[in-house]
Amino acid sequence: MILPGNATVTETTSITMLPAAPLHALEIWGNPQAVATRVHKALGFALPVMNRSANNAATTLLRFEPTVWLVEGDVSVLADTLGDDAALTAIGGGIVRFRLAGPHWRELLLEGGVFDTSLAAFPVGAAAATVIDHVGVRLWAQSEDACVAYVPASYAQGLHHFWDDALPLLGT
Amino acid sequence: MSADKTRGPTRAKTGEETIAFTFDGTTYHARPGDTLAAALLANGVGLVGRSFKYHRPRGIMTAGIEEPNALVTVGKGGRAEPNTRATDLFVYPGMMVQSQNRWPSLAFDVAAIFGLAAPALGAGFYYKTFFGPAKHWLRYEAFIRRAAGLGNAPTEPDPDNFSQTAGFCDVLVVGSGPAGLKAALEAAEAGSRVMLVEQDAVPGGSLLRDPDPAIDPAAMVERIKALGGKVLLRTTASGYWDHNFLTLSQRLAEPGAVPPHGFAQRLWHVRAGRVVLATGLIERPVPFANNDHPGVMLSQAVRSYVRRWGVLPGQRVVIATNNDDAYLTAQALVEAGAEVVALLDARASGPAAPAGVTVYHDARPSSVTGRKHALRNVTAVIGGSEQSFDADLIAVSGGFVPVSHLHMQAGGKLTWNEEAQAFVPGETPQVCETIGSALHPPAAPAAAPAGKAKTSFVDFQNDVSLADIDLAWQEGYRSVEHLKRYTTLGMATDQGKTSNMTALSRLAEKQGVTVPQAGLTTFRPPYTPVTMGLLAGAGARNAGAHVRRIPLHDLHEAQEPIWQPLGYWFRPRAYPVDGEGLVAAALREAQTVRTVAGLSDVSTLGKFEVSGPDAAALLELVCATTVGKLAVGRGRYTFMLREDGFVFDDGTVWRLAENRYLLTSSTGGADRMAHHISYVRNSLRPDLKCSVVNVQEHYAGIALAGPGSRRILAALTGAEPPRHMGYAPGVLAGTPVHVLAASYSGERAFEIHVEATHAAEVWRAIEAATRAAGGAPYGLEAMELLRIEKGHVVVGGEVDGRSTPHDLGLGGMLNKAGGFIGAAGLTRPALSAPSRNNLVGLVSLEGPIPEGGMLIQRAGQSPQGHVTAAARRILEGGAIALALLEGGHKRHGEELIVTSPTRGEKARVRVTSPHFYDPAGERYRD
Repeated sequence: MILPGNATVTETTSITMLPAAPLHALEIWGNPQAVATRVHKALGFALPVMNRSANNAATTLLRFEPTVWLVEGDVSVLADTLGDDAALTAIGGGIVRFRLAGPHWRELLLEGGVFDTSLAAFPVGAAAATVIDHVGVRLWAQSEDACVAYVPASYAQGLHHFWDDALPLLGT
Repeated sequence: MSADKTRGPTRAKTGEETIAFTFDGTTYHARPGDTLAAALLANGVGLVGRSFKYHRPRGIMTAGIEEPNALVTVGKGGRAEPNTRATDLFVYPGMMVQSQNRWPSLAFDVAAIFGLAAPALGAGFYYKTFFGPAKHWLRYEAFIRRAAGLGNAPTEPDPDNFSQTAGFCDVLVVGSGPAGLKAALEAAEAGSRVMLVEQDAVPGGSLLRDPDPAIDPAAMVERIKALGGKVLLRTTASGYWDHNFLTLSQRLAEPGAVPPHGFAQRLWHVRAGRVVLATGLIERPVPFANNDHPGVMLSQAVRSYVRRWGVLPGQRVVIATNNDDAYLTAQALVEAGAEVVALLDARASGPAAPAGVTVYHDARPSSVTGRKHALRNVTAVIGGSEQSFDADLIAVSGGFVPVSHLHMQAGGKLTWNEEAQAFVPGETPQVCETIGSALHPPAAPAAAPAGKAKTSFVDFQNDVSLADIDLAWQEGYRSVEHLKRYTTLGMATDQGKTSNMTALSRLAEKQGVTVPQAGLTTFRPPYTPVTMGLLAGAGARNAGAHVRRIPLHDLHEAQEPIWQPLGYWFRPRAYPVDGEGLVAAALREAQTVRTVAGLSDVSTLGKFEVSGPDAAALLELVCATTVGKLAVGRGRYTFMLREDGFVFDDGTVWRLAENRYLLTSSTGGADRMAHHISYVRNSLRPDLKCSVVNVQEHYAGIALAGPGSRRILAALTGAEPPRHMGYAPGVLAGTPVHVLAASYSGERAFEIHVEATHAAEVWRAIEAATRAAGGAPYGLEAMELLRIEKGHVVVGGEVDGRSTPHDLGLGGMLNKAGGFIGAAGLTRPALSAPSRNNLVGLVSLEGPIPEGGMLIQRAGQSPQGHVTAAARRILEGGAIALALLEGGHKRHGEELIVTSPTRGEKARVRVTSPHFYDPAGERYRD
């Protein structure tokens, strides 16, 4: 069943456009160990390693690049730890978050995709920067049942339609 | 359909014939699981198509994807699929099939008269015939185009979707015959992630023709699936690329059928740890006179029709072979009630034949005669003497060709198997192995053909006969590659699957060398034809990419603008009112900006936020102008060079805070700039203490321009806007904004950048205030008029990849300290040559100036430049243009001619400065 608006729900899979959220790019250019220590102390968790995530109740960090993390949520604590070694830049206006949920979300990401979404290759907590139907997206395996896709806002409607179209193929 | 029930193909009715379909308008019935070929034979139809060149009657030769003859068009409208093999098409209710390449009917084809001219239409016919002046081609063209081709491509859009999907596995097995099933099951039981691919609709491969009670394909497939394996039927591994990457084409619905989920086919992009090729064999035809007639079939195909589909392709059958396998066909035919009138074995001895079958050794077919749907007679040379047999079918087996196409696509070598007279897979550079019969083809000694070479066909699709090969040899074509191109052998849709080895044998015989010495052509993807829709995927709907929506799309849409594609974006080109056309609307909008104020969506501009202590250092590397001296709250126009010194983009740079800058760049160049700046940051200067973030989509941009813009903005923000090229943060409609005082229009103007999620409120507020002041929104067309009149360059127009800063009149803005990318390239003397094309303005002395026109001094002279953009003066009228002109900086005042021969337009112009409007920039000041 396709609902009007921002969500598509079938018996097995749902695609939901999430409300806009504060998103920032965190780039560290100097003293990485010291920054990591400060961040760990401030947030209560370590900076995640490449293609992994870490979070607390207020803030989630996803790492896609050697020196860049995507920060979702409150950055007030984080901003105070950076000094002259790193910067936060707001990017949330240009990204639409989709929650893909249900037993077939991994299969859905193979449509027009290029990377292995199996549990072994993309476990819960993993993050990935990849391409889906020629659109650069970032993914976060939030749980066994759901994934969050960070999609450039200009492509959000197009990719939503692309996923909608692909739903009947799942599980076939 | 054959009228004689005792001759020709047939199948006893059982009541299972429940599927109705049409062939050339006649309704037939098929059983579930029938291919079109099986169903037609079951209905007594042996004549299915006409050959490409001579329009000879053709029937069904094979039972698989190698079929060269029985090509049909299936489906209707945009869903029609031409050149589909009847042997690779499963019948479904309502299926509509048309034969091809015939007029007015399949049975009576006027173009068959070409067959009478066959002696004059041999190999190289085109090369020998179409000499002479090029204009003679005009005489041939229409005739050749009408005669060329097989089926017709549909003219309507394909209504179906096509999926493209990634796949990953430890082991990919191609082919579900006995070897493939065993390999796949073993791998699955060992814990590997397995994909098993089968082009047929059911698993089994050769087991469907030669069942083995010890092997149950369906049970093995279920076991593989239960172990987590994926089994893809109706799926062909069509391409094998580097790094064990394979492309699979999967039919989700039969050709021409309405797909249940809207998707007709799926293209799999599979990355496999290991590939196992269990691709089997293709049987070789036997050359003899009229060996292309309906009723000449491959031996294993006959066995398949008998055992898998219960069809008797003929009732009085001659079998011709050089190997033991055809004896199994004799057995199958006898068991099915057919009469095997002779078994012609080219060898001196063979295995025991079924009871009642007479075997002739040292025997080869030399010719056949036939009627419409079947044969009438087979003539053979037996021990040097000719003997005729009354038969309606000949089942031939000239040996076997291992299916090594994927192996070769993977970069593998082939080795020669003398006993089988076949190339078999050898070494491969990829993690890949071939197993089963493809690696161990049965023995089949060479047998010299008998019969007239002219009608002994080798390549059935392209009507290439033994005589054509002989002629090519006679005319000096020694290389197999030359032979192929001269005769078109192996170049049809079947890519020579049934013809290559027979032709190679003939070539080797002529050369007096062995087959491997004669050489081998290369197998390239795809293994079988794939549709264009499959390759296009979802991109077939939107020209290959999603349309990018600007944040304010819906707001603009409500005003029913004329939309303009701009790269992947769509932007409003104009907002017509009261039935205006584009030109009138754009002029009105531009005049509004010049006299009052206008607002425009500039959200698609490239935007980068650069932070950190070394931000200015990075920007002074990327930008060719100075940046470091900018005070906080100030900005400037800038441009960027390639390493070779040519301008590749332009924009503005703003110092937002002590260690934070905003760099804008052109819409069309935004992606290129993102790559460039990332390369500079991460590869050239990873040591810099700074961060570069692409914020193109984070911020929506709204330009507010015109003499009333300052007042409008001041009222909206409650603060005095910054002076020209100044920056100030502000709040508008309750939303934080960046206000950049920059002008592209030539008027006092501002860019208001706001987080895209709040852009709508800000646009609404600015639009309301602007309209209240007598202004209006303006689109790209008005923007173009404004910038041309002002003399501002645009990337993709004046910045065409061949322009230096000096050419564009920007040399004075270069950072005199150097150090920017392109500085070294700019020092090359050629980039300072006085004859370079320089940016100039043109004023018309009479009439409009054709955009893109050439600049000349007098008729007959070579062009000295070209018009990059043409417009009219917005308030005063009169045609103006920007142009790139040889030595243009020093030619102001000169009169030239703009000519556009392709449009038949001319204009006399005077060369001027490119700045037609407010050259002193006084309108920027309050």
